[in-house]
Amino acid sequence: MITEPFTAGNSVIHSVDPRMKIVFAVMLSCVVAVANSLLTLSAGLATGLMLIVLARLDGRAVLKRLAVVFGFMALIWVVLPVTYPGPAIIALGPLQISQPGVVLCLKITLKSIAILSILIALVATTTLSTIGSALHRLGVPGKLVYLLVMTYRYIFVIENEYQRLMRAARIRGFHPGTNIHSYKTFAYLTGMIFIRASARAENVYRAMLCRGFKGQFHTLGPVAPYTQNRAFTVLTTAALIVILGLEIWNRISL
Amino acid sequence: MHIAEGILSAPVLIGGAGVALSGTAVGLKAVDYERITRVGILSSAFFVASLIHVNIGPSSTHLILNGLVGLMLGWAAFPAILVALILQAFLFQYGGITVLGVNTVIMALPAVICYYAFRPLLFKGYKLAMAGAFACGFGSVFLAALIMGLSLIFSEENFLEVAALIFAANLPVMIIEGIVTAFCVAFIKKVNPEMLL
Amino acid sequence: MEQNQPIISLQGIYYSYPGRRTILKDLGLDIFKGDRIGLVAPNGSGKTTLFHIIMGLLRPSAGKVNIFGKERQTEQDFMDVRRRIGLLFQDADDQLFSPTVLEDVAFGPLNLGKSKEEAVAISRKTLEFLGLDDFEDRITYKLSGGEKRLVSLATVLAMEPEVLLLDEPGNALDSGMKSKLINVLNNLNITYVLISHEFDFFSETTDRIFSMEDGKLLQDDEVYIHTHRHSHKVGKQPHKH
Repeated sequence: MITEPFTAGNSVIHSVDPRMKIVFAVMLSCVVAVANSLLTLSAGLATGLMLIVLARLDGRAVLKRLAVVFGFMALIWVVLPVTYPGPAIIALGPLQISQPGVVLCLKITLKSIAILSILIALVATTTLSTIGSALHRLGVPGKLVYLLVMTYRYIFVIENEYQRLMRAARIRGFHPGTNIHSYKTFAYLTGMIFIRASARAENVYRAMLCRGFKGQFHTLGPVAPYTQNRAFTVLTTAALIVILGLEIWNRISL
Repeated sequence: MHIAEGILSAPVLIGGAGVALSGTAVGLKAVDYERITRVGILSSAFFVASLIHVNIGPSSTHLILNGLVGLMLGWAAFPAILVALILQAFLFQYGGITVLGVNTVIMALPAVICYYAFRPLLFKGYKLAMAGAFACGFGSVFLAALIMGLSLIFSEENFLEVAALIFAANLPVMIIEGIVTAFCVAFIKKVNPEMLL
Repeated sequence: MEQNQPIISLQGIYYSYPGRRTILKDLGLDIFKGDRIGLVAPNGSGKTTLFHIIMGLLRPSAGKVNIFGKERQTEQDFMDVRRRIGLLFQDADDQLFSPTVLEDVAFGPLNLGKSKEEAVAISRKTLEFLGLDDFEDRITYKLSGGEKRLVSLATVLAMEPEVLLLDEPGNALDSGMKSKLINVLNNLNITYVLISHEFDFFSETTDRIFSMEDGKLLQDDEVYIHTHRHSHKVGKQPHKH
């Protein structure tokens, strides 16, 4: 089941205009993504965590979402320290743990978690329809916004159809394994999903025509009053300045 | 298949965003609102299919099916995949804002290449169509893994070993994608051939 | 328009889906203002196809479609029809594509050129009429089957149609939702045709029953639905006493 644990809430972050959240999420992510010093990256991570605290999100749910990057992080922590050239800190038998390798791993980990925290705190706390209309008002073409909203809407219908098909297959004794029969079954299930999706698309478009659709996609304006815009802007701009300042100072002093 | 945040260098991120943006513009231009309803709902189907886990021995992998999407959508695969990735970032925090461009290119560029390379075969006989679909499923993941590896190496030359490991890990995925795409195309050809037109 | 002229009149309609048998054969249909018609026929006999032809979503291979006193042929003709006739689709998920209820209900009025404020006001009024006052911020895909059905009815009613075509509106509704729907239909004071398989539903909402056979419409004017409930063998088929 697909869930959105962070969209509900009445924290400071939930009361900010979604356009601002998107703009600052993009700016903060980009600055952190190109930053290079450990100090800057730590400041980025601190910003991300601060935003999560301000959004009053459930810590366990956040950790679960952050866990998606742990697999890749584990891979680089295993490979890079031994393959990266540079002076060793410890030698484990024939393996040399290189100091620059460890530093690189640390940087990547900090960066990754910092950007993800920003994404969770600023984007995942908005409903998708709000993101859609915010993107539209930020100048993203109507067609792309429409595509986004449409895709989102039908994910749930199609996931439901998939679950029903899968249940029916299980009832008839289907146990997936590593064999051609299983792959073929999954292929047929997928084919069925695509065929049904295609038929549904036709009906959805017809239903839109019936309601006077003429190729113009309208979005309703904001519903909730956004009361925390000023506080949010001051705070995130300060964070941006600190991160940028640290990075520039670090590059000059090198 | 995607790259996490925090790994790629600025030039690679910017390059990826540029290619993704151009591809999306071409894709959007090619479709009107009637077609785009179809693209959107197929994009949801693609999203759901990518949640399907199939076994490989003791481990499992999820389907990617970017080749199939390419076969059905052509250039519209760019906006379809971009949107699916935005939703993955929004719903599961897979990937993120800055890698969105590169990740779109990783999946959508092979999709478009496969569209041109293998789509004509679908309308030939059964065997040729199956072979084309297998090559499409295999090739789209092969190319995706290749672009992914190159983006890593261009970001930091010492990522070579990591990139090679990821590529090797994707070899079985390529075979499975080939098999699934072949059967899937055979199924659609039998049940609802108009859909491929 | 004269009172004795049908508002919807189909003559000699033929339709076939590509690669399949002809589903509508020389079909004729007249609907007058104030009609409350029930349409019953086996699955696959072309009921939905008939509705889609009236709305101009499908074009017949032969025959005349006359709606509101004008012959309708082009997309332009049907754009006017779609503004004045509302179609409730069989699957509410086809109809509700916006993320929130309010946005979905406002979609039609916005397309008709209403301002955002007007569209929101109309949508709120319609939701209130259906007893869905507190639904506007609900997420459409999270509604129950019955709620989806009522909201999709709201999306159609927000266009203020003169005629309603309802494709199995009672489908997948529990008895509470069903009586709510029956109430709404009886309070609407509008011309409508509804497809259903349930005779108790017809008895409470329609005055005439049509059925379909061999691609033709049977306007069974003699058979009026009786309002008493009873059970006996083949009691599910239309019958006379």
